[in-house]
Amino acid sequence: MKTTNRTLRAGTMLATALVMTLGVAASAKAETLTVWDWKSGDPTTTPYYDKVKADFEAAHPGVTVKFVMQPHDQYYTLLGTAIAASQGPDVVLVHGGSQAKERIAAFSKLDDKVADIRTRVAGWDEFAGADGSVYAVPISIQGLAVYYNKELYKKAGLDPEATPKTWADLEAICAKLKAAGTTCFALGNKEGYGADFFYSSAAANALTAEQQAAWTTGDLKWSSPEIKAIIQKWVDTQKEGWYAEGANSTAKFMDEYQSFERGENANTIGLLSDVAHWKEFDEFLEPQNVGVFVMPPVTPSAYDHPRMPLAGGIGYAVTKFSPNQDLAIALAKSFADTPAMQIFFEAAGAVPSDTAVDTSKVESPSAKVVLGSLSDGVPLPHNNTSTAETEEWHRQSQMLFTGETTVDKAVARLDEVQAQAKKK
Amino acid sequence: MTQTLTATDAKRRKAAAAHADPGSRSVERFAYLFVLPALALVVVFRIIPLIWGFGYSFTNYDGMSTPRFVGLDNYVGIAHDPVFLDSLVNMLILLATLPIWIGLPLVLAILIHQGVPGGKLFRAVYFFPAVLSSVIVGAIFNVLLRYDGSFNLFLKAMGFSAVDWLGNSSTALFSLIAVQLWSTFGMSLLIFIAGLSTVSAEMLEAAKLDGAKLLQTWWHIVIPSIRPIIEFAAVVTTIGMLTSMFGLIYVLTAGGPGTSTILPEFLIWLEQGKMNRPGYASAISMVLFLLMAGLAAIQIRIMSRNADI
Repeated sequence: MKTTNRTLRAGTMLATALVMTLGVAASAKAETLTVWDWKSGDPTTTPYYDKVKADFEAAHPGVTVKFVMQPHDQYYTLLGTAIAASQGPDVVLVHGGSQAKERIAAFSKLDDKVADIRTRVAGWDEFAGADGSVYAVPISIQGLAVYYNKELYKKAGLDPEATPKTWADLEAICAKLKAAGTTCFALGNKEGYGADFFYSSAAANALTAEQQAAWTTGDLKWSSPEIKAIIQKWVDTQKEGWYAEGANSTAKFMDEYQSFERGENANTIGLLSDVAHWKEFDEFLEPQNVGVFVMPPVTPSAYDHPRMPLAGGIGYAVTKFSPNQDLAIALAKSFADTPAMQIFFEAAGAVPSDTAVDTSKVESPSAKVVLGSLSDGVPLPHNNTSTAETEEWHRQSQMLFTGETTVDKAVARLDEVQAQAKKK
Repeated sequence: MTQTLTATDAKRRKAAAAHADPGSRSVERFAYLFVLPALALVVVFRIIPLIWGFGYSFTNYDGMSTPRFVGLDNYVGIAHDPVFLDSLVNMLILLATLPIWIGLPLVLAILIHQGVPGGKLFRAVYFFPAVLSSVIVGAIFNVLLRYDGSFNLFLKAMGFSAVDWLGNSSTALFSLIAVQLWSTFGMSLLIFIAGLSTVSAEMLEAAKLDGAKLLQTWWHIVIPSIRPIIEFAAVVTTIGMLTSMFGLIYVLTAGGPGTSTILPEFLIWLEQGKMNRPGYASAISMVLFLLMAGLAAIQIRIMSRNADI
């Protein structure tokens, strides 16, 4: 009996020790990486996210990747709260340019961790700090292009293959479209995004590399001749009837684009990737009816031919407060793995940041133009505009349409905000 | 002399009552326990954030870096910020419409109380929008008020020109106010109907026998009888006007065109959520808090004075 008791006691202790050891081991290995984005629930991007998750979890047993899709229009408010509280996501999706750059204090520096993919992946500049260090892994290339409806061009007696190379060409096209009873441009400026796309696409080919750098630092003012001429055209084009009535109460995403897709307007300034882009317009208007061109500059071009305004689009950063730094960085990098990027391109029509993705099988004529322009792009000025300036431009652009302000007053106010934001 | 005796008597009676019921103190203490949960919620979710916000309003906090004390810089910045000043003007315009917010439901409540045909149906119909969230109301009116929306189609069918209700600075704020009024006046209506049930039927009957006309009855009997209810509705409505417009602004106009529909509460969100300036946003919050506290104090003072009467 004594022996039985001793054996039972020893067995119980052994079992307890074993369970505790296994428990500790399991808790040490079971990690969950939380990723915040605004895209993982989108049906067109689901295959891409499924692939990233499956590959990463297979390569890191015991690790679970959890995607949390946040509403896009509230994304940076929620991210700001998480950052302020230093808790929440390990990895976050951010837009390249000012949205990423104004938050790098909250992100981990990735320089040496991404050295192995720096040449394969493009678009790093939009996620770099003032010291040149990078803080996010780009997954797409984004840019602004004018998409047009070839059918409406034909109806107006225009050659649908003759795209405008100068501002005068574009004015002539709009005049002909107007004469044929067609609205030249779809425009939604309820949130001010229509005005953002207008000035950024018009300025891209007007500014030299030095002027782009001066714009970034705040040395090139809104009142400079190059930028002021664009603001003046913003007003003139409205007066000349380029847009349908009610632009100030029309949302760019997606009322403007839906209007273009219904064939109500001949042109729209869209994106290269993700949404409001060639793949989406092809689906509604048929690929052979969708054309694309680079917005001509208002002032003389800084280049000998039109160059597509583009830059790193969106990318994944690792929060400084993530307790799983190494794993989180590995996950951020895995979003740019070539097999996943291939799916991102094919399923969502995103222009991938990964230069190894095979895009040769694409048939869309407008996609071919977009993809063919990637090696010859120019920066997007709005990416290097501070949030304060952007918000003020949204307001001023609307007041220019309602006639509450003048171009002179608007640029003077924008100069003030720029000086304050960039401490000049 | 009589007054002094009466006061002394009252004190004695109170003391005697307390002695007569030794359990009353423990009952009183027990009552505090019931108040405690609500008090804790107010302290945790209102008072402490308010104190934190007050502290942040003197810093350059950006939500990421360690806050640095900047003294009154944020408040000086606000005083020179044209967007904030415009938001105050918009707020004053909004407050100037308070008589409509009170008058409209009051008149409708009196009509319903006096038994207009279909009164019960009207009461339900008027109250229905109050149960909808502001985002749903915004989405509905976005379809109705947009340039190619139903209102303008109707106007065009009647031979009038279309109006950009939400995209024109001269109409956007009033459109927002009208939508918010439509969606919330049902609550005031119910309060007034409840108040009207307390009006003395004998007095109304007497007025009728004395030959008082309808408007005279309203003006000299009904409205004075429910004056405290009207004042209460005015305080609640004022607070609602200054703190409940965000959803509609966000959905219908995003603050535009220009600054024409930016109210201080929307600007606070803009500065904190979009501009990464919680310190500056806190300073605006403090100013809004002081304005609201001042307004509420004035209204409560008026109510108290009238209660004395």
